[in-house]
Amino acid sequence: MALDRAVAPAVANVAAVSPGRSARVIRRIAGRLGGLALTLFLASLLVFFSRFLVPGDPVSFLLRGRQPSPEAVAQVTEQYGLDLPAWQQYLTWLAGAVQGDFGRSLQYRQDVSAVIADRLPVTLMLVVMAGAIIAVIGISSGIVAALNRGRALDRATLVGLTVLSAIPSFVGSIVLISVFAVQLGWFPTFGSGEGPADMAYHLVLPSIALAIVFVVLVGKVTRSSMVDQLRREHVEVATSRGLRRATVVRRHVVRNALGPILTVSGVLVAGLLVASTIVEAAFGLAGIGSLLVQSVDRLDFPVVQAIVMLIVTAFVVVNAMVDLAEPWIDPRSAAGAGAR
Amino acid sequence: MTIPTTPPPAAGAPRPAPGRVGPATLAVQVLRSPRARRPDAVLVVAAGALAVMTLAAVFAPFVAPYPPDAIDLLAVNAPPSAAHWLGTDGLGRDLLSRLVYGARTALLGPLLVVIGSTVIGMLLGLIAGWRGGWIDAVLGRVFDVLFAFPSLLLAIMAVALFGKGLVAPVIAMSIAYAPFVARLTRSLVKAEVSRPYVSAYRVQGFGGAWIAFRRVLPNVTPIVGAQSTLNFGYVLAELAGLSFLGLGVQPPTPDWGAMINEAQSGILAGAFLPALVPAIAVVIAVVAVNILGDELSDRIGGGIPA
Amino acid sequence: MSLLEISNLTLDLPGGARLLHGVSLAVGAGETVGLVGESGSGKSLTARAVIGLAPDRAALGGRIELDGRSVIGASGRDILALRRDSAAMIFQDPRSGINPMRTIGDHMTETLRLCEGLSAAAATARAVELLSAVRLPRPEEHLRQYPHEFSGGMLQRVMIAGALSGSPRLLVCDEPTTALDVTTQAEIVRVLADQRDARGMGMLFITHDLNLAASICDRVVVMRAGRIEEEGPALRVFTRPSADYTARLVATTPTLGPGSGSGSGADERPADVPASDAPRSGGRASALALTASGLSKTYHRHGKPPVRAVVEASFDLEAGAALAVVGESGSGKSTLARMIVGLEPTDGGELAIAGRDRATIPRGRRERLARARSVQMVFQDPYLSLDPRITAGRAIEDALRLHSDLDRASATSRAVDLLEQVGLTAAHAEARPRTLSGGQRQRVAIARALAIEPDVLVLDEATSALDVSVQAQVLDLIARLRRERGLTVLFISHDLAVVRRVCEEVLVMRAGEIVERGGTVRLLEAPSHPYTRLLIDSVPRPRQADAQPAGATVA
Repeated sequence: MALDRAVAPAVANVAAVSPGRSARVIRRIAGRLGGLALTLFLASLLVFFSRFLVPGDPVSFLLRGRQPSPEAVAQVTEQYGLDLPAWQQYLTWLAGAVQGDFGRSLQYRQDVSAVIADRLPVTLMLVVMAGAIIAVIGISSGIVAALNRGRALDRATLVGLTVLSAIPSFVGSIVLISVFAVQLGWFPTFGSGEGPADMAYHLVLPSIALAIVFVVLVGKVTRSSMVDQLRREHVEVATSRGLRRATVVRRHVVRNALGPILTVSGVLVAGLLVASTIVEAAFGLAGIGSLLVQSVDRLDFPVVQAIVMLIVTAFVVVNAMVDLAEPWIDPRSAAGAGAR
Repeated sequence: MTIPTTPPPAAGAPRPAPGRVGPATLAVQVLRSPRARRPDAVLVVAAGALAVMTLAAVFAPFVAPYPPDAIDLLAVNAPPSAAHWLGTDGLGRDLLSRLVYGARTALLGPLLVVIGSTVIGMLLGLIAGWRGGWIDAVLGRVFDVLFAFPSLLLAIMAVALFGKGLVAPVIAMSIAYAPFVARLTRSLVKAEVSRPYVSAYRVQGFGGAWIAFRRVLPNVTPIVGAQSTLNFGYVLAELAGLSFLGLGVQPPTPDWGAMINEAQSGILAGAFLPALVPAIAVVIAVVAVNILGDELSDRIGGGIPA
Repeated sequence: MSLLEISNLTLDLPGGARLLHGVSLAVGAGETVGLVGESGSGKSLTARAVIGLAPDRAALGGRIELDGRSVIGASGRDILALRRDSAAMIFQDPRSGINPMRTIGDHMTETLRLCEGLSAAAATARAVELLSAVRLPRPEEHLRQYPHEFSGGMLQRVMIAGALSGSPRLLVCDEPTTALDVTTQAEIVRVLADQRDARGMGMLFITHDLNLAASICDRVVVMRAGRIEEEGPALRVFTRPSADYTARLVATTPTLGPGSGSGSGADERPADVPASDAPRSGGRASALALTASGLSKTYHRHGKPPVRAVVEASFDLEAGAALAVVGESGSGKSTLARMIVGLEPTDGGELAIAGRDRATIPRGRRERLARARSVQMVFQDPYLSLDPRITAGRAIEDALRLHSDLDRASATSRAVDLLEQVGLTAAHAEARPRTLSGGQRQRVAIARALAIEPDVLVLDEATSALDVSVQAQVLDLIARLRRERGLTVLFISHDLAVVRRVCEEVLVMRAGEIVERGGTVRLLEAPSHPYTRLLIDSVPRPRQADAQPAGATVA
């Protein structure tokens, strides 16, 4: 606080465009990428070494629930280097993981990467469709509510969002299946279809079920961010200058409210990938979510590790992108020191 | 589960200093106040629903008409009747009884998670926000890493490691939710620390630990508490989801999520009730908690989006 | 007929509260009318109503005629036309008045392009022209910059330029200089006066500062609680107020006093309290309560040049005396105060209070308490310097019990004693800060500081967040406490006029350095340093018939 006051005159004199700006931008990007690498590295430690929290020897952990022949034990020991020191096992695993090699699946006797690649399209499509629903309905309901703050429409939207927020994806799934698939027969109850168009059709209900809770999140954040901006004095100033309300809202409110919405969207990605486990299970979709559940069920730990790492990586990368996009939304953050 | 961009004002803090605030602002505040109150009836209903569920869970053996696993072979997937008020499931078990017993795991799990994550999170957040410097930086990095593991994912991982049931997921989710509490606490504490009243305590000669625990912590607790109440709803839904996936509470233990899971095949045959009844219970519980949590946040003035 | 004519304006909230009770005033072309009042007087509401910015669901009554058109009940389109062509408004805080996410160029050209339909090139040319008119140094370059790269004074110029872009006939200024330093205020006021004269605009100038109003306005309207108390030529209202309220306002408004403004005011108030009255300091009248030599503080910021907040500050303070530290924002005066009370470690130099070394941050409980008994501080913002959860009485008790072994009951009665000494009652002991007014809170803060019985009391802008009448009461309280208790005071302030009432000596700081020290009367009458001269000249004072508006030479 004292610092702020002390800095004020210094800032006053920096009315000239400072020459170090591009250098700062580069340093910023480098810093973000470094942070991303560090976070991923630490996450990989957690994912890999979590196995060592389980008491007992690693071979029997990996081969739980199976009756391994001595040959199988030897093979697994050999394959994962279980007789090596832990850090060597980790480095081997990490080196493979970086190249997309997560070892072999115990249940499918296939490369983990191949099993995942097989399942990925359904999940991606599901997440993209749900994301579109979330963006359109979430943001627009938030904007409508904020612009009608305190009126009936706002209250109705808030009540709607509160109710929706209590509908977890498995509840949404069974209700949608009961009504639109079983009763009305408009949509299939099961499976992900053949070919892109059919897949999209099969994924309509699942993507709605997946989107519900996140629509609420985006809607509420949009509304509160908009309300926060609407209260700002610069909005009143713009109004006092004779700009139309629609212009004021577009140029000064919506644009300024984007920051928190973007931040939440970053958080959403991982949430969607995880929540898709439930939706995929409910609708019998062959995606990585149902693969994760199945692998946990069948004690196929290599696959679990790979999928967890995949989701974590998606989260970290998307959030780094959001971070990097921030100065584009708010020029002040580019000037700020390396605040988190 | 969002990260607040601007720290909300502290509990009971005065409105942003009206030192030079004009009457226009005053007028706006006056205009705002009458509508902000949610109709009390809704609150009463929400609190009542939670109270009923809690009582049912505690006194399940006295409330439930049948033991949760008593099978009535004559009534399989039966519709509601005088004998079975909510009907029966695919094995002929009384849905109402299972619902009542299921409230135990449904409420106990989230309660443990909320307590665990709040205690861990507030402590770490207080340390990070109060001490700042390298401690803050290290904790911030730890939180960043944990943020990359959504709670349900961490819970699934815990099941993969330690086996199915309620214990591993509850511990995992306590850890997963702690960073959210910690980051909120940290930003609130940082905001408090920048306020002159904290400097005033220092100038008066009070020690750092006394100020942090006796004065700053109580000032941020109401907002953190309101947020944790909202977390209760999310955790309830997620733990039920885990059981729905077959990874949480295992049959035949009655649990709402597991009940839906077991009833899934029946849906295709047109037996909706065994799945719908526990689903509605989940929705009512979460709505009630969220209404109370929202109201708490409003009253406290946190204004944190969901 | 006048440019703006408000007659019998009322404003009601839906709850039934009436905030304006029949306000009438008029502004002619080329004329400046001041609207003066304390917070809650309705001056801002009146101003906002003129350009159709009344609160959402408020009901307006009476008439507002602007440029021959009626404002109340006008259609949306007419309001837009009115805002575009007839009237523009400048707000208090330029930092929050310009969209931080858009460039200055965007702010300057948006109404030109969107409302007047100018091409981008033509709009840019006009923007450059306007920015030069408000004397910004590099208009073309500024267009590409963002608000956060500007100082408050520069931003207020941008706001003015933006308001002028529609060539308004009436300019409404709502406390346009309140957030600014006094020298910057003088520059902004000069820009406003120049533009008014060049364009023949009418101006409605809202301010809480009577001196400022008297320095720029032709006529003044004084408001209180939604009513007009008095109206008349600025100088007359200021020198011979007819309403009681105005008279009180004038009396409580600190001025620089004789020799520096109106020569008329006889002997107003010399520095109030002769230090010799202090009974407690007894024989050791010349003992030094505080000695600082070579105190320095430099802030190192990541990736930016370091800021030297305080450079080699050396001064001393006699027991029982009152010394003011005056400077603008960034002068280092607050950092100096924070070093003295131990909130900020020093980089170098020596600091002794009551003869003991206090330059190092105390370690351990005993040292900490001894440090606290050497010096206490009252903070600027009474809304934030009290713990919101703790009652006034409890706050004082806590301090008492930390520094003595009083039991709870005697601490409570002692706390009530202290509250009574600062002009509050036992009833206030139970009150939480939220329910107290700004002045009451500041009294609690003072009582809390006194509870520790410090050798030196530092007051950091302790009255600058208060209304003038409340400020006067708190200043009187400080003067009385000095008399009664022989208090040694270090008074940090940006306001020379306030300082004059409290302190016999003044120390002027600029950019971390002490540029001048002297007796208050001498320093105000014959400053020796040019910066002190500039500060004094920048303080607004009533315009004589022949005098120029306040303003100095630095751009």
